[in-house]
Amino acid sequence: MRRLAIATATLLSLTALAPAQFVSKAAQGRSGKTEAVQYLFPEQVTLPAGKPAAVALHFRVAAGLHINSHNPKDDFLIPTTFSIPDGAGVKLENAAYPAGAMITLAADPTTRLSVYTGEFTINTRLVAAAGNHLVQARLHYQACDQEQCMPPKTITVAIDVIGK
Amino acid sequence: MRSFPVRRNTLVLFIVLFLLAIFAWAGWANWEYRQQAAERRAAIAAVQGELVPVATAGGDSAQFITPLEGKPAPAFTLPDLDGKKISLASYRGKALLINFWATWCGPCKIETPWLVELRNKYASQGFEVIGIDTEGDDAAPGSDAYAKDKSAIEKFVEQEKMPYPVLVDGDSISKPYGGLDDLPTSFFVDRNGKVVAAQIGINSESDIENNIKKALAE
Repeated sequence: MRRLAIATATLLSLTALAPAQFVSKAAQGRSGKTEAVQYLFPEQVTLPAGKPAAVALHFRVAAGLHINSHNPKDDFLIPTTFSIPDGAGVKLENAAYPAGAMITLAADPTTRLSVYTGEFTINTRLVAAAGNHLVQARLHYQACDQEQCMPPKTITVAIDVIGK
Repeated sequence: MRSFPVRRNTLVLFIVLFLLAIFAWAGWANWEYRQQAAERRAAIAAVQGELVPVATAGGDSAQFITPLEGKPAPAFTLPDLDGKKISLASYRGKALLINFWATWCGPCKIETPWLVELRNKYASQGFEVIGIDTEGDDAAPGSDAYAKDKSAIEKFVEQEKMPYPVLVDGDSISKPYGGLDDLPTSFFVDRNGKVVAAQIGINSESDIENNIKKALAE
């Protein structure tokens, strides 16, 4: 029975390796076209009308990708920037961005990049006029993976702001 | 009781054979699935004109298939940084690397010194690189955004000491070149103007050099 157990274990190990044999990492990474950054929450906030109030905005960068932080280490790189268009009924008084994580690309271990990966939070101070405002804020970013970059993009950050 | 070891051995043999059969079937099904997926991707690429990665049996570097392979590189006429119109047709007879890049693209910046080095190495054999800036913002000539882009491109070209022609407004020819959703993207063109290979993303200098040799050889 020991021989049977050994034979079975060997075969099961080989079977487990089978699905991985033909797919490269790069090919897996490019298998689908998903949004690089997703706004998570809050969808709705109630703020004291006319007074600055803190609102933390949460975002997620898709797995395998990174975006430049607000302070990338190279003038050529596009910083991540949050904005609220004029006339939205809500004013962005201040936005505090998180520090970026320092990474290097496999092709050039000497150059360090300041980036956001996974979930990150922008701490804003908003001033809302009295009333209900469906704010179409914007996040401008530029995403890359280890080997290639996508063009800069601006996504809409929809927040229902109630000024009371 | 004497016949028990024989029965046990037979049982072990059957189980092993059964598991081997399952393993063989799983391997075949996996291969068949990959083949069908590759065919589907190629069909989509042919319709959409996109570059599609092809998984390779060994190593991490993906190769790309493009519906342009074996076909003439799509014609273009684009301005250089001095505003002079440059057409692809004027390079007929040379092996080319058409490199789509952008100032904001980190991997492009890493790759550029390699391109400069390889261009200088193979120029005497009739090889040239054409860099096409593709900022991805569709900035219209004359607009503030266009002027800002141009200024950044000039700075990049100067900083990287790029000895080859750099054209701007690559966004206008992105469609025939597969959309250019990711940068850098390079097409290798032989002396007859046919695309012989394509690459998306940064690989290695040797991968680029191998494709240059392919373009020079055909």
